[in-house]
Amino acid sequence: MLAPDLPGRKDLRVFAGYCVAAAVYIVIGVFYVDFLLSVIAGMAYLAIAAWLVPALVRRLRT
Amino acid sequence: MSWAAHDLEPYAFQRHLNLKVAFVPLLLGSYAPDLMTKWFVYGIHVGPWELKASDPAQFHRGWPGFGFTHALTFGLLIGLLVWKLFGSRLWALSLVIGHWAHALTDTGDTLGTMLLFPWTFHFHIDAWAYAGQTGRYTDAAAYFSGLGGMWDLLWIVYGFFSWRVLTSTYFNEVIYRADAFWPWINRFVPRGLLLTLYRAAFFYGVSRWIAWTIWAHVVHDYPYDLTWGGPHWVPAEHP
Repeated sequence: MLAPDLPGRKDLRVFAGYCVAAAVYIVIGVFYVDFLLSVIAGMAYLAIAAWLVPALVRRLRT
Repeated sequence: MSWAAHDLEPYAFQRHLNLKVAFVPLLLGSYAPDLMTKWFVYGIHVGPWELKASDPAQFHRGWPGFGFTHALTFGLLIGLLVWKLFGSRLWALSLVIGHWAHALTDTGDTLGTMLLFPWTFHFHIDAWAYAGQTGRYTDAAAYFSGLGGMWDLLWIVYGFFSWRVLTSTYFNEVIYRADAFWPWINRFVPRGLLLTLYRAAFFYGVSRWIAWTIWAHVVHDYPYDLTWGGPHWVPAEHP
């Protein structure tokens, strides 16, 4: 029987991080809709939320 | 026009095309038709002046106007130029695929696109209303109240179904290796940030779809109209 192609625990952990970043982005976007109109702003936000902040937290921990 | 499909299509194509494609030009191609025109369709304020097309629909999709940017022939021309100027067949092909996806998707609305420009016939399926002329907020509300929003939702579901293309393993083993651009930019930008930026359009497309839907139907109460060519509460443009 074919097994379903499901993500593993590590993938889900990464996905959860992006979900948190998305939730914040959506809340900001709903109240300041102009924020939703810019691809650049969206990418910059993600770079900060999903890469810079976790990288800083990792550095502070070590 | 589409609000999120153009962000999401490249990931689905990446997953299901057996061709070797480069992701960056695929995404650029997907954005290209609207890149230089959208701001003038909706208008912007520069000091006391408002810069806006007098006939936004004509400017965006018509001729005379910039409608040729949505033609398959224009995509092919840009692809050939990239091939000749930069010598990369991979970039040229990927750009053309991304561009064509955008041009074909936009035939879904009531205005359609001049796919075979210089033949100025508009190919249009009329599934959702083109409302770019009403301004960005009404356009967004209309789009996320009709079949256009549902079309984007299909791409979101398809994107999640293709979840493997978003993993670091896929990025490292397929995306990064397929295109010399990534190792080059990796000399200046850390690999982790590149992975994040690779995922950014998907994140942007999905988050934006959810946010606009909440804005249109929770914060405001624009009615859903999922009938063909809807929503009919907005004045739709036709060729």
